[in-house]
Amino acid sequence: MLPPGVNSKDFSDALKQFESAVGKEWVFTSDEDVALYRDAYSPFWGEPEERVASAAVAPDKVEEVQAVMKIANQYKIPVYPISTGKNLGYGGSAPNLSGSVVLDLKRMNRILDVSERNHSALVEPGVSYFDLYRYIQERKLKLWVDVPDPGWGSPVGNSLDHGGGYLQPMYRNHFDSHCGMEVVLANGDLVRTGMGAMPGANTWQQYKFGFGPWIDGMFSQSNFGVVTKMGFWLMPEPDAYLTGTVTVPKYEDLIPMVDILTFLENSGVSNGMPGLGSPILGGFMMPPPAPEVTAMLAKPDGGVGSAELHQYAQDKGIPFWSCTVKFYGPAKAIREQWEYAKEKFSVIPGAKFQDGEFYKLPLTPDQFDKVHKPEFGLPSLETFSIGARSPINPTPTNGHIWFSPIIPRTGEAVLEANKVFSQAARDFGLPILSFSLPSTYWMRAFIFIFGFPITHDVATNKKNRESFKQLVRIAAEHGWGEYRTAPAFQDAVMDTYSFNNHALRRFHETVKDAVDPNGIISAGRYGIWPKHLRGTKA
Amino acid sequence: MLPIAGAASETTNQAGSFYKVVFDERFPLSAAFGDEWKARGAAVHAIRGDITDLWFHDLDPQWKKRPLPIAGLTAHGPLFCLERLAWDRGMRVVSRIEQQSHDGDGQPLVSWVIAPKERT
Repeated sequence: MLPPGVNSKDFSDALKQFESAVGKEWVFTSDEDVALYRDAYSPFWGEPEERVASAAVAPDKVEEVQAVMKIANQYKIPVYPISTGKNLGYGGSAPNLSGSVVLDLKRMNRILDVSERNHSALVEPGVSYFDLYRYIQERKLKLWVDVPDPGWGSPVGNSLDHGGGYLQPMYRNHFDSHCGMEVVLANGDLVRTGMGAMPGANTWQQYKFGFGPWIDGMFSQSNFGVVTKMGFWLMPEPDAYLTGTVTVPKYEDLIPMVDILTFLENSGVSNGMPGLGSPILGGFMMPPPAPEVTAMLAKPDGGVGSAELHQYAQDKGIPFWSCTVKFYGPAKAIREQWEYAKEKFSVIPGAKFQDGEFYKLPLTPDQFDKVHKPEFGLPSLETFSIGARSPINPTPTNGHIWFSPIIPRTGEAVLEANKVFSQAARDFGLPILSFSLPSTYWMRAFIFIFGFPITHDVATNKKNRESFKQLVRIAAEHGWGEYRTAPAFQDAVMDTYSFNNHALRRFHETVKDAVDPNGIISAGRYGIWPKHLRGTKA
Repeated sequence: MLPIAGAASETTNQAGSFYKVVFDERFPLSAAFGDEWKARGAAVHAIRGDITDLWFHDLDPQWKKRPLPIAGLTAHGPLFCLERLAWDRGMRVVSRIEQQSHDGDGQPLVSWVIAPKERT
């Protein structure tokens, strides 16, 4: 395969120059090697539209990245940088534009600095969460890394994709917790942001903003440069961890429950990733609903808010909602914080409380085996041991893609989103649950996450792609936008961010044309196409 | 001994051919596979679906030094992870055979060999 618009001689010449720049063994052109960069969860698997690479090049240091960019610019070769390429469900290592050369940064795996005094790190893109965790453990540093689940990706790649984790809110949003970056631009120029722009400054990982416009965000979910170093703030190892659960009896109690939770989090009283649940409806991490409940939910006039279900819950004494709040901090303090949280939730009539886990940290080996590891900064692959198995996907197939809209952080919005998505599920035969609760809790917003199964059956994948786009459209009609998506849907999602005749996308395109006039970096990523492809791909 | 199906030759079915033989103790067929390889003197590693411990404490440090072949009989999930981690260290799945009988909770099992990529 050739990159689009590139003739075979130019491509051959470029590959030879790539070999000169990084070493022959680090330029991959065989079908077997290039196939490794396919997206294992591609919704186009095996179809002509599947996005595949033409080759891959793996530089070892920033000077080699600069050389590759200059060569790519000379021959107008589209390149697609990846860190470790393991963001499965959101695209993996496959490019948006078929024929791109994957710029595989896995060899740039140096941990350049970890400061126990500043609680920060500076790493290259090929450093995985496991690598950083190992580095910290081997040196017995009292630091935690906020890891996603699974944890085999890289801090750089995950944060640039706006990934998240499970620790305190200021670390949970991984891009928010970064501090300073180094970027190779399309022309090979090298930029450092924040205090990194000042030679001799030793505050690169201490102060984010430096002087002048803060441009770091322009290199996330974008294609304006190749990030080659990134700083992160790490969480000091806490003294202890505690959880407690509150339950409330009524359907409408979700509204004050979420408001109180939000107050507690935004006040810093509770600081772990909370978990909303429904004892009556069952679901994730809870027993399945009783058969009578399932039957009620299936009725045409039934539903989560039905009077019949509400009465059933009251008669059986089963709470409608639960909320597990989590605390990191000094043991004495977090016990008091839980008591304070109880006081706040007590304004909801019928609220009941149950003390949960308490761990004095670090965990003992027995505790280590029992806990949900990312909540303790421990990278894990355990999620793959259960596959994508779920009530909507009881026989895991070949993967999944995530539909993940941002929802207002209110109980009303959660209930409304469920009405809308349940109706959509009935109207379009979508494979989603009858009721869902937030999966990720940002400080001021919720993210719902629905998994769409991916198969190797063309007809099924086609149906699921159409369903996915329907959900994107329906969500947008209610003001709920995707926070992240796989390349197959990035144009569709960007289309929904359409204020003032797509002013945001037009601005992105203006920047793209200025900083990458040949459009060589990640063409199409997050809906940003270079001028020569604009309108032909979107 | 339960064979590592599809192994290229008798040589690769010898206990010393693999740095580790991986089995999932949740599944009787896989457990028997592990027992037999252990009896033959192979270094075996039991998992319960999750390869994190195997990866972090064993394979990752070893594979950083040099690629080493491993084999196993597991569900697809563990192999999915190991295969991708092996790719990053210049290794490939060179044998992958679906077992005819399902086991445990109904997941199909697969026997496999991961080995260094042959130089071309």
